[in-house]
Amino acid sequence: MVTGPALRARVSEAGLAYLLLLPSLVFLATFTYWPILRSIYFSFHDVVLGSNKIYFLGFENYERLWTDKLFWKSLGNTVFYTLVTIPCAITVALLLAVALDSKLRGMTFYRSAFFYPVMIPSVAAGMVWVFLYAPGYGPINSAIAALGLPKVEWLYDARWALPAIIFMSIWKYAGYFMLILLAALQMIPADLHEAAKLDGVSAIDRLIHITVPLISPTLYFVIIIGLLHSYQIFDYVYVMTQGGPADATNVLTFYIYQNGFQYQDIGYASTLANVLLLFVGGLITLVALVFGRRVHYLGR
Amino acid sequence: MAEVVLQGVSKSYQGKPTVHAVDLAVADKEFMVLVGPSGCGKSTTLRMIAGLEDITAGRLLIDGRDVTHAEPQKRDIAMVFQSYALYPHMTAYRNMAFGLLKTSSLSKPEIDRRIREAAEILHITHLLERKPNVLSGGERQRVAIGRALVRQPKVFLFDEPLSNLDAKLRTHMRGELKRLHKELGLTVIYVTHDQIEAMTLGTRVAILSDGRLQQVGAPMDLYMRPQNTFVATFIGSPEMSLLRCAMKPNGSGSVVSHPAFTTHVPERADAGEILLGVRPEEVIVGPADGTALACGRVDRTELIGSEALAEIVVGADRLVARTPVTKVPPLGAEVGISFDMERVRVFDAASGRVLSRL
Ligand SMILES: Nc1ncnc2c1ncn2[C@@H]1O[C@H](COP(=O)(O)OP(=O)(O)OP(=O)(O)O)[C@@H](O)[C@H]1O
Ligand SMILES: [Mg+2]
Repeated sequence: MVTGPALRARVSEAGLAYLLLLPSLVFLATFTYWPILRSIYFSFHDVVLGSNKIYFLGFENYERLWTDKLFWKSLGNTVFYTLVTIPCAITVALLLAVALDSKLRGMTFYRSAFFYPVMIPSVAAGMVWVFLYAPGYGPINSAIAALGLPKVEWLYDARWALPAIIFMSIWKYAGYFMLILLAALQMIPADLHEAAKLDGVSAIDRLIHITVPLISPTLYFVIIIGLLHSYQIFDYVYVMTQGGPADATNVLTFYIYQNGFQYQDIGYASTLANVLLLFVGGLITLVALVFGRRVHYLGR
Repeated sequence: MAEVVLQGVSKSYQGKPTVHAVDLAVADKEFMVLVGPSGCGKSTTLRMIAGLEDITAGRLLIDGRDVTHAEPQKRDIAMVFQSYALYPHMTAYRNMAFGLLKTSSLSKPEIDRRIREAAEILHITHLLERKPNVLSGGERQRVAIGRALVRQPKVFLFDEPLSNLDAKLRTHMRGELKRLHKELGLTVIYVTHDQIEAMTLGTRVAILSDGRLQQVGAPMDLYMRPQNTFVATFIGSPEMSLLRCAMKPNGSGSVVSHPAFTTHVPERADAGEILLGVRPEEVIVGPADGTALACGRVDRTELIGSEALAEIVVGADRLVARTPVTKVPPLGAEVGISFDMERVRVFDAASGRVLSRL
């Protein structure tokens, strides 16, 4: 049994721990949990921004979702964006990482070069790509014309605007994922690859059967991080297309922004935000169920 | 048939020579041990044979075919790594099957048959479904050997495969390796820094020092006829004592004079400094009287089971003598010592090379 001073010591140790946790708890509560609760509350009301008026609506906002074509479109765009961007970016990142995981000269240079896009602020990157994609004078169209192919209006063409944003996102994400995967690759003992090489196992087979399983915890991490980042895509859309043309690039976060701050309909914006939260939660759970089990942790 | 020939094989890292023109011929079914101190280039040499390191200069032939620049998988060799290099996410069975499944045209039943057979030989049949992380060091070692066996390669390369095992298991696995080599008629090149392992395992032993091949021969040959002081002191434990003497030709042999004694050896060479090499068992310890060659003082004694070792100071030199436990001289005692003159060797002090006996 713990008695007297020992008990006091233990209590005060726990007390100290709570005391030290308090600031971050307060912070989290103020800026995360309180807003979530508020948005759930708002989603059942009609809120007018800037005034204190608030009217109870019940499930009206949620019923509205079913018939709101733009909601479904922006949800579809978000899903499409995520499901193309993340797998592509991870594949590119993995191939880059494998290529850069060699002891050849100049590798430090290439690593920095591929990581560079990550360091550019997304708004700045967006501006640069607006220029690159520009229909008349943009370098990408010039290159296409030089190849004798027909020019594309990129961000002004409803068919190409979302793929164009996806392409630049892959460019931006790949370097980040590459760096994380490269660190994981370098943890794999070299002799595993040497043993396979001696056996004559091809580079592709080694990638599939040795490299990927051994970095699966990191791949899993990268997939989750990627999903968390990509469903929040807002800045590129805001800077590059404002959701256009014809809502071809309207994604959920942008639609939330439009409802909340352009149409001043906080109640409906909150409803959308809650749906987004549920959607992402579901997606992450699904990923965890599908991939979580297959992750192999080096049991050494 | 499997014959490995190194012709002037050299390796430089960033222009820094690491292995110097090694000439070595490993015969079919031979157990060749490469031994030498840490950093002497054993692993580098083995990895060059495997094709994991480029050969800077020289030629490598396997069965008469020049494979100097061939890809590792074209050399028909298997290697067992010091770290075992088992794939951690695969079972023992899958570890052994993986290479064959991916690269050979063997049918699944044939692969299965080979794995079961190898497992039988290595006594690991009951471990096949386990992953490496739940295997002990010795078990992992066997799986790694099994993975090499199922390939049925021409040549087996081992890089310090036993150094992660405890002493008892090491002795046991040594015996197992010897048995495998004999029963299966394998051609083996085996790297170790442990001279006892080299002596007990090798049909022949190649001694490396500073990237240079010092001597190649049967274990007994190396022990009895070392070509230089490096080999002389590297092989044998405790090591051979070297006594610095002056030598003058005399009659059919030479007179060797040490500050503490003068004696006659059959070797002949121009006058100069020599090192007289005496192994512990070639020192005869007796009473300090006129019958002994020299007198020395016992500085240290050590019991090693059935025998004892005595370190004796003779003039400016020290030497180690092996004595029966019943005759250990007391510490500090003055004792007389003589040498088994038939067996002592004479080395040139400047070059370290042995002087040939006439
Ligand atoms: N990739 C490399 N680059 C530069 N130097 C290297 C490289 N690999 C090995 N060396 C050097 O070459 C020398 C021989 O190395 P090697 O690994 O062959 O030694 P070893 O005889 O196997 O030693 P040990 O018994 O410690 O394993 C060492 O001095 C080592 O530092
Ligand atoms: Mg080594």
